[in-house]
Amino acid sequence: MKKVKVAFFDFTCCEGCQLQVANMGEMLLDVLDLIEVVEFREVMSEKSNDYDVAIVEGSITTSHAVERIKKIRKTAKVLIAYGSCAAIGGINGMKNNFKLKEIREYVYQKDAKHFDTIPTHAVHQVVPVDYTVPGCPVYIPEFIQVLKAALSGLPYNVPDNAVCVECKLNENECMFDKGVTCLGPITRAGCNSWCINNGNICYGCRGMVSNPAENGQKDILEKHKISLEWIENKMNMYNKSRELGELK
Amino acid sequence: MGKYVTLKKSDFNEFIEKLSKIKPVVAPVAKGKKSFAFAEVTTGEEVALQYIPTILPPKKYFMPQKEKILEFDKKKQDWTPILEYSEKIIFGVHTCDLAGIQSLNIVFTTKPKDINYIVRKDKLVIIGLECNNYCDEHASCAVMDNHLPNGGYDLFFTELKNSFMIHVNTQIGDEIIKRIKLFQEAKKQDFQQLDDLRAAKRKIFKDEVKVGHEGLKNLFDKSVKSKVWKDIDSRCVACGNCTNVCPTCYCFDVKDDINLDFNTGARYRVWDSCQNENFAKVAGGESFREDRGSRQLHRFMRKFSYPVEKFSRYFCTGCGRCSRTCMAQINLKETINALVKEKK
Ligand code: SF4
Ligand code: SF4
Ligand code: SF4
Ligand code: SF4
Ligand code: SF4
Repeated sequence: MKKVKVAFFDFTCCEGCQLQVANMGEMLLDVLDLIEVVEFREVMSEKSNDYDVAIVEGSITTSHAVERIKKIRKTAKVLIAYGSCAAIGGINGMKNNFKLKEIREYVYQKDAKHFDTIPTHAVHQVVPVDYTVPGCPVYIPEFIQVLKAALSGLPYNVPDNAVCVECKLNENECMFDKGVTCLGPITRAGCNSWCINNGNICYGCRGMVSNPAENGQKDILEKHKISLEWIENKMNMYNKSRELGELK
Repeated sequence: MGKYVTLKKSDFNEFIEKLSKIKPVVAPVAKGKKSFAFAEVTTGEEVALQYIPTILPPKKYFMPQKEKILEFDKKKQDWTPILEYSEKIIFGVHTCDLAGIQSLNIVFTTKPKDINYIVRKDKLVIIGLECNNYCDEHASCAVMDNHLPNGGYDLFFTELKNSFMIHVNTQIGDEIIKRIKLFQEAKKQDFQQLDDLRAAKRKIFKDEVKVGHEGLKNLFDKSVKSKVWKDIDSRCVACGNCTNVCPTCYCFDVKDDINLDFNTGARYRVWDSCQNENFAKVAGGESFREDRGSRQLHRFMRKFSYPVEKFSRYFCTGCGRCSRTCMAQINLKETINALVKEKK
């Protein structure tokens, strides 16, 4: 099989998700049999304008970034939003809690006017995205699944049920039974309840389930005695960008 | 009446130790204050003798969540069927879960027979454990007639004052008793204690809902148009927890997983749920059961009506897991009572 040319790009993010690739271990060798990495700032200095698959990390937070992602979209046959910053805006979305002008002055102080900034957008809010790998950081088994889907042209849908489902299948003691609040009930599964398996709560990093059973969600919050306000605060940590529509 | 022996409580730890030398032993272990799971043990101290139904039922040993059934190599045109099994002794299965295993056995040994299941089941030794009292408020094992032992085990333990009374039900069970030389013959006073315990249980365990065992099927058959399903429709979030944890839900999906060489791979059988949005979808995207209320109705009919017609038994064991686990507090006992109330 001819190797597929893959380029990694980063926008506003911590590059932690790219680092996950390095953590893949042996699996990485199998992946490298399939793909040729033509650009990957984290590990190499080459740049390329010739690639089939663009793996995009980070959220779009400047008008310069808007232009850059549009160019990438034009070149790439397949675009993968990689990690929560790209998939849902992620942590960077917290910026959207503030007035743009104020936050810019707070961060850059007297040089603020030299720094252009726009509200934090997820990649799909700016250009069409073919595949999404949410997670902060991404969960490698899911990334492999997405990669296989992308290379064979099959669709991949991020699960739309709650992390609790995986958590039950892993037979974890529920955090709520330990008196700790956990965002599993309203967060999209797909990470195999990674954090809870390791003794932490779910922080909601994969974004919210899109569940239409409104009364059900109310019952869930009630069962776990979670206040709506608390949820909003916590969920905003990763999901603030969700309130924006597509960038016009 | 069969054969009965006793085991001193002080010998229990040694019993589990010796048992685990025969074959790997799995038993309920505490995962937290209110959570238990079947897991491997090698000493008696690890076993939670007082436990409420485990998060997942022992079904996980009979039909694993993810079972490899085939390995393939496309280039070589090679398709090798795989049969996954392992020898185990499952200790401490409550009567509700014994009924669950019996239900699965019926399903998978009725034509078309499921060879993988049958082979796996024959490698599993089952040791039951009686509930002397209710596990919690979600149980409805009395109305389902599963609060007393009713077969389906090799050995069955009942905790008496200073000892366990053990019913030896199969030859496999008898061999274990003979190999582990810790048992005494049951005496008259042991039988007396067992009788007293069962008599006391008859006073504690009463129909937990406002309809009797016989009336349940009719109640559900007449409920199809009930408003109760509308209410459930607005609350169920279709997560599938209730079917995953149910000891008698056996729906599965078959998935191929290709390796990164895009040539070799394996076919897996994985648990599926009738509550998932995609489950009732057929080719063309049409869904037979679009709304959650009708999917829940389907779940209940699969417990209280259809299997009665097909296998002459209810497929609800009364274990209460679905109520304990439901994200939206949809509760089996409340649902039944709401249907009874509406009918009046
Ligand atoms: S609330 Fe958290 S700990 Fe509890 S089941 Fe859900 S994901 Fe697991
Ligand atoms: S458990 Fe929650 S916070 Fe952890 S990886 Fe999964 S979605 Fe993210
Ligand atoms: S329907 Fe609920 S109570 Fe009945 S067997 Fe299934 S999980 Fe247990
Ligand atoms: S439902 Fe009944 S049989 Fe099952 S654990 Fe509870 S009390 Fe025991
Ligand atoms: S557990 Fe509750 S919310 Fe989830 S599918 Fe079952 S009834 Fe619906």
